[in-house]
This record gives sequence, C-alpha cells and structure tokens, in this order.
Amino acid sequence: MIRFLVPIVCLVLFFVEPIFGLFSPLSIGGSFYYVVPRFLILFLIFLTVFYELRHALFYGLFFGLLYDVFYIDIIGLYSFLYPAVCLIAAYFFKKIPQNLLSATLLALGLLIAMEVALYLFFQLIGLTDAPAGTFLTSRLWPTLIANALYLGLLGWVFRSMMVTQDPQRGTKFGLY
Amino acid sequence: MPQFLSNKRLILLLIGVILLVALISLTLRDRGQVSLPEEIVKEAVGAGQSVFSRPAHFVTGVFDNIDSLINTFEENRLLKARLEEFAGVQAEVTDLRSENEELKELVGKEEDLREYNPIQAVVIARNPDQWEEKIILNRGTNHGVKENMAVMTAGGLIGKVTIVTPTTSTVELVTTQNPNYRVSAMVLGEDDVFGLIEGYDAERRELLLKRIDFSIDLEEGDQVVSSGLGGIFPKGIVIGEITEVTIDEFGLTKLAYVKPAADFSMLNHVVIADRLVPEVDGEDNGVTEDEES
Repeated sequence: MIRFLVPIVCLVLFFVEPIFGLFSPLSIGGSFYYVVPRFLILFLIFLTVFYELRHALFYGLFFGLLYDVFYIDIIGLYSFLYPAVCLIAAYFFKKIPQNLLSATLLALGLLIAMEVALYLFFQLIGLTDAPAGTFLTSRLWPTLIANALYLGLLGWVFRSMMVTQDPQRGTKFGLY
Repeated sequence: MPQFLSNKRLILLLIGVILLVALISLTLRDRGQVSLPEEIVKEAVGAGQSVFSRPAHFVTGVFDNIDSLINTFEENRLLKARLEEFAGVQAEVTDLRSENEELKELVGKEEDLREYNPIQAVVIARNPDQWEEKIILNRGTNHGVKENMAVMTAGGLIGKVTIVTPTTSTVELVTTQNPNYRVSAMVLGEDDVFGLIEGYDAERRELLLKRIDFSIDLEEGDQVVSSGLGGIFPKGIVIGEITEVTIDEFGLTKLAYVKPAADFSMLNHVVIADRLVPEVDGEDNGVTEDEES
C-alpha cells in the first residue's frame, strides 16, 4: 500500500506548499516574517530514515525538478538540493539514536542547512541583498518554528505510515 | 575492488556537479524564455495547482466574510458619512468626463494610453520559497495575456507578467530585488513629474522612484501612478504614495520612497491590463529620460 501512498502524499504536499505560501509574509506588530513551507522535503527526510533512501532520492529528484520548472525557473537548484538533503539525512541517521525525536531534530537541522545554502546561492546570483541578520530574524526562525510545528503534528503519522508497513524496513539503512 | 567503486562514484559525482552547474547557468541566462518541455510541465502543474487552490480560496473567502461581518457596523457608519460627498464627486466626474471627451474630439485624439482591456485572473500559487516575489495566475496566451503586461489589484499595481504559457502566467511582483525591473511612473501634481520605479527597499518595504529631475520639488503624500510612457503599461495605474524624498547615491537626481498602494499578502483576484494602444517591444522602461528633460 505504501507504494501508492507515498506518491500521493508527496503530490498533496507539493501542491499544498504554495497555498500556505499565500499567507506569507506574516505581519506581526509591524515587522514582517517570511514563513516558507518545506513540507515535502521534511516528508522526504522521514521517508529516507524510516523507509528507504532510494525512494526518497527518486521522489526528491522528480518533485525538485517540478519545483524548479514551475516556481523558480532555475533548473537544477531544488532537483539537486532535495536528493542531496536525503543523502545527508541517511548518512547522519545511522550515527544517532533512531527514534522519532532524533529524526525530527535531524530533519529540522537539515532544514536550517538547506535554507542557509539557498540564502548563499541567491545572494551569489544577486536576487537578494538582505544582510545575514535580517535573514535570520525575518526568515530562518519563523520558517523553522512553522515547520517544527508541522513536523510535531504530522511526524508520528508519517513514521507510523512507513514503519508499520514493513517492520524490517524500520531498522534497515544504507546507501543502496 | 572498493577502490574502483569509490573512483567510479567520484567520477559520477563530478559529472553530476558539472551537469548541475551547466544546467543552472544555462537556465539563469535566459529565464524569460520557456522551452517546450518546461511549458508542458508548467501546464500540467498549473492544472493540478488550480484544483488545490480553489478550496483554499474558498476557505480564506469564508474567513474574510466573517471578518468583514464583524466590521460591518463601523464600516456602515463611515460609508454613510462618505455617501454625501459621493453625490457631489459623481456629478463632477460626469461633468469632467464629458468635457474630456469633447476636448478629445476637438483635437482629434482617438488613442488614449489610459484605456486597457482588463483580463480577470485568479492567483493559483505563490512561489513558496519566496526568495523571488512571484505569483502564478490561471490565465495565459489563450486568453490574450502577453509578456510584460501590467498586473494589478483593486488597490493598485502589483507586478508584471514575465512568463506566459497557454493557460498560466508567471507574474514578478514589483517588490522584487531584480535590478532590471523598471516601471515608468509619474508623480501627480500641478505638473506631472516623471521617473522610474527601480528597485525595492526590503527593510522599509517601499519602492524606489528614481531619476527625478533635481530641480523639482516633491512632497510627501504625493500620489505615484504609471505613466504609460514605457510602452507596455497603460497610463494611470496607482502605484503608491511618496513617503520620503532624498538625493540618490550619485547626487545628480532625486530619489523618492514610495509606499505601495496594493496589499501584497493574500493576493486572490487580480486584473491583467492589456493596453489598447499598440505595445512597444521590450520592458516597460522606455523613454522617460527624454520626457524629463
């Protein structure tokens, strides 16, 4: 069943992201906060650590490419970042205690790394000139909080969806 | 054999990185054009996205309705007070309109930069990573949308169309950091003052109106509208109002901060302006300097 469930969940998360993007920027007390929904990549990290890396890499590449073509118009950015983040997740998850909390923390850590990488990239090509302080306060923290909330609500759903399918898979990890 | 395996992996990785860099630089160079596979992907994703955005707009619509219901009493009182002014203003408008038409006939002027054909569109998505301020609309070349057309809400100008496919179009908002994004604008007053909207101050959340003649005095609160002289936008779309006037970095011309009139969060229904006067090729940054001098 998970064979059908994973692509459906990916597709729904992919389409829901820009809808949550419509609410942003949030203005609270006169200052604006950018909340970037990163639902899909967080799901893919969970897929990597609790199910299988190869599936995550494939879906990461596919949806990363869609993301690039439809929203960013720079092909190769997310289609590289999504699989790369999954690879790093698989590498690190072998070295830490393997439970829901550690997976959530790992996913949020990788999210920070990805946001910083994107910030550096967009600064390099001149699409943003925001100083690092502004990036931290108006973008990174709100994004992190919102996505932590999302993982807190749905993380256990994702895990039970993946682990109960095949108990052997829950403990099998590796690069191919 | 582990040595061989890692070598093979290394080579694969290197090829991957080279391919990636090549792809990124290639697509960065001509971002305005869309190739056929890109267009197909955009069409397909756009169709799926409109399915998802419809219920979302419905839900936000319900909340908006509740919100406006709460404010109804207050608004009603304000509007009643306005109503009395309105009758006078309306009479003046019809008078001015007929006078304007008579005068136009007198000089034999038929084309007007102000006139445009509105194309109604719905926002189906906003670029979720928000590094670039972009929205995607559910109208495309099939409905007469062309590149560089102005996009606005009831509040005022919000951006221009950058990419069109048959049924979707991508709009770059005026709040972008893109240095090549210009809109020819003018400040309304006794004499119209021309300048270019060029750039956006992300911290003040205000647009920059540049290249204003140094000898001209501008005041805070003056209204800024599109001038129509750039060749693509119609004339008279509200952009915002001036909040501060300073001197630009070279000290030769003036620079004004313009607070945008439109609200950029929670965009839903927008209008694409298809100007009736034939458009000029290129971006909306035509001939303002000549007009100034």
